Amino acid sequence: MSTLAILKVKWFWYSILCVLSWGAWALLSKIGSNEIPAPTMQFIFTFGTLPVALALLVGRRFQLEKSPQGIFYAVANGVLSGIGGLAFFAAFRTGGNTSVITAATSLYPIITVALAVTILRERLTWLQIAGLGFAAAAFIIFSF
Amino acid sequence: MHLPPWFWLAAVVLISWGIVGLLQKLSTNHISAESSLIWLVVGFFLLQPLLYPGQALWTYSARSLTWALLSGVFNALGAWALFAAMRSGGKASIVSPFTALYPLVVVLIAPLLLHESISLLQGLGVVCALTAVVLLST
Repeated sequence: MSTLAILKVKWFWYSILCVLSWGAWALLSKIGSNEIPAPTMQFIFTFGTLPVALALLVGRRFQLEKSPQGIFYAVANGVLSGIGGLAFFAAFRTGGNTSVITAATSLYPIITVALAVTILRERLTWLQIAGLGFAAAAFIIFSF
Repeated sequence: MHLPPWFWLAAVVLISWGIVGLLQKLSTNHISAESSLIWLVVGFFLLQPLLYPGQALWTYSARSLTWALLSGVFNALGAWALFAAMRSGGKASIVSPFTALYPLVVVLIAPLLLHESISLLQGLGVVCALTAVVLLST
């Protein structure tokens, strides 16, 4: 796809919105954590996610699939995301460099890839193996 | 080797969000991405009784409370935009590495907004981390 053509597709702009939103989320998390302890940050953060969940619920006309398995995984996601969020806010409160902490914590796909290989028996692509190498390099550099 | 104080906290983030990545995949095998996000927020709320700060909540400045609330709004908005990108024809193999570039926004804005600068070595680490995430998301 040429550079000009990509500017006309919807998914490109949605992706930009995602990148900007998550960038804002990380920065606001840092600024809020200067004063507020991690558990309270997570407590208030949760209320912030509510309007988006409600908008999606209205968009689906309150029709949700009734799959107990799907619901179980998604709720477990929320609990684990919350625990990760707590540690994320706590990491910012240590006063470490915001850019470094954001970049280091964004490396979570290494765990997803490792689990996908061991549990779902997925196979790694060469690009993913190279990715693991870069992640290792980043950790070694950050530990100096 | 001298580990910075945030290192173990970052490890907790990596492990919990790493498992989330796997569960996300498993949940969307059964239900839509939108439903997954709605139930994820339900999961967030299950933790609320443990996090309830009581009266202490009102001792923080309105400004900090607003930042905390907005951080939740933007996090969920980003997740919605990611689903919308995939729904409007974006291939997962392109959208997911692309959206993993959000730390770039922080690296560009943090020096201006927070007056934090990073050393050359830290910058190299950030470049390695961004490259890793993009390659891993393929």
